[in-house]
Amino acid sequence: MSDLFRSLITALAVILIPLVIVLFLAWGAAKKVKVYECFVEGAKEGFTTAVRIIPYLVAMLVAIGIFRASGAMDVLVGVLSPVTNLVGMPPETLPMAIMRPLSGSASLGIMTELMKVHGPDSLIGILASTMYGSSETTFYVLAVYFGAVGVKNSRHAVPTGLIADVVGMLAAVWIVRVVLG
Amino acid sequence: MLNYIWLALIAIGVLTAVGIDVRNEIVNPYRNGEILEGEFVPVKQPGALRSEWEGTLVIEGNAFRSFYHTAALVDTVKQMSVLDTTRNTAQLTLVLDGSSPQVWQEMGKSATTVNKLEATLRGIQWADGHTSAHLKFVLEPIRFVRLRAVTQAAFEYAGVAVTIAIGLIGVMAFWLGIMSVAEEAGILKIIARLLAPVMRRLFPDVPSDHPAISAMIMNIAANMLGLSNAATPLGLKAMEELDKLNPKAGTATNAMVTFLAINTGGLILIPATALAVRSAAGSTNPGIIIGTSIVGAGCATLAGIAASKILERLPRYRRAMEVPHE
Repeated sequence: MSDLFRSLITALAVILIPLVIVLFLAWGAAKKVKVYECFVEGAKEGFTTAVRIIPYLVAMLVAIGIFRASGAMDVLVGVLSPVTNLVGMPPETLPMAIMRPLSGSASLGIMTELMKVHGPDSLIGILASTMYGSSETTFYVLAVYFGAVGVKNSRHAVPTGLIADVVGMLAAVWIVRVVLG
Repeated sequence: MLNYIWLALIAIGVLTAVGIDVRNEIVNPYRNGEILEGEFVPVKQPGALRSEWEGTLVIEGNAFRSFYHTAALVDTVKQMSVLDTTRNTAQLTLVLDGSSPQVWQEMGKSATTVNKLEATLRGIQWADGHTSAHLKFVLEPIRFVRLRAVTQAAFEYAGVAVTIAIGLIGVMAFWLGIMSVAEEAGILKIIARLLAPVMRRLFPDVPSDHPAISAMIMNIAANMLGLSNAATPLGLKAMEELDKLNPKAGTATNAMVTFLAINTGGLILIPATALAVRSAAGSTNPGIIIGTSIVGAGCATLAGIAASKILERLPRYRRAMEVPHE
């Protein structure tokens, strides 16, 4: 069942992009749109959008880089582990839960490390990979998306993102415990 | 709120770094100024071209562990090193690599020359025929490891940010080009109409035939299929369209926050990266996480949408959206 689902989605992911490109352009041509000129006109904005996010991305990544390099993670794990023990989250996976919303590359590193040490099919290995798949890099997304439109007052975006992350991590612990019995 | 989180990350980072470095000054985990002993076994002798001995520094596992008060290392240390006896005070240089002890690798990052530890010799006793020598030496002092790392990370990540943004230009331009054709041809309106009932509930402030709706739909679809190269440009396009409806530039609208909640929830049908890492680590059942990830990310997404809908009603966030009357 899961294998069928997997190959179906994988096939879809491969076919979709070429299909969308051909379909959109052919449709445009059929509707008498000057596809080449129209494409170039739209593409011009790509440069400005990408450049516009640079200051936001620099601000966010520098702060995350400082946090990562300082060793604050170990301190935070020590403070938080009594709380997370209550919900049945193994302390080894706590760095994963903290890092996931901050940095994609760091959480990928933590996941790989946990699997190397505990084995990919152990509770910790499965939980770490589920956590990795249960969330996006919230602060990166916020910086890039808000940066593109120059939003400085993010209103309730950060609490919303953090609530989603906490729920995602707790749900990951719960479902992995259920599946593994 | 982003202000506080940002400041907190930097402040916690720097303060922890200072704290750890101050503690290291007291505890002296790198044994600055203390004498370490070891056997030096030469491999290459000084010749016409070079004046140094090259060889292996051998230190008993137990001696090494008790010197650094560590339980980590069991084996005998065998470290490639260079011995220079021509100068007034003989110098020993440890050339570090991946096989060097953890402590030394850590120290090497903050050494004068990265990945090389210089040592001043305090005593040298050659065995007959120069086959080995008993050395007493003091390694260069290692200080402010964390603060150095913090500074380095700050500059490194500033560069990474620009690399990421520059790397986006190409795919960004490509997808914006395709989207522009789709908009001209009326395809975006058709996509928006198909999912209108759902989107109207999620984004009540956005007219259902607005280009933002179809850009968001396509971004969410690309995200679920794990096509991040397509998802980010489409998402940024959606943000720009949403911003056209924004009565107060520079402030996030309700629709933007809900859209970001769906994005950061990270619902993905095949978590390809995690699967790849699991397979590489030798998992017998890498696919077991497909179901668990969908449940986890599904809960996160639903919680995010609910949170965005509830929080947007709070007075403080409503006030932020008010446009001053002229």
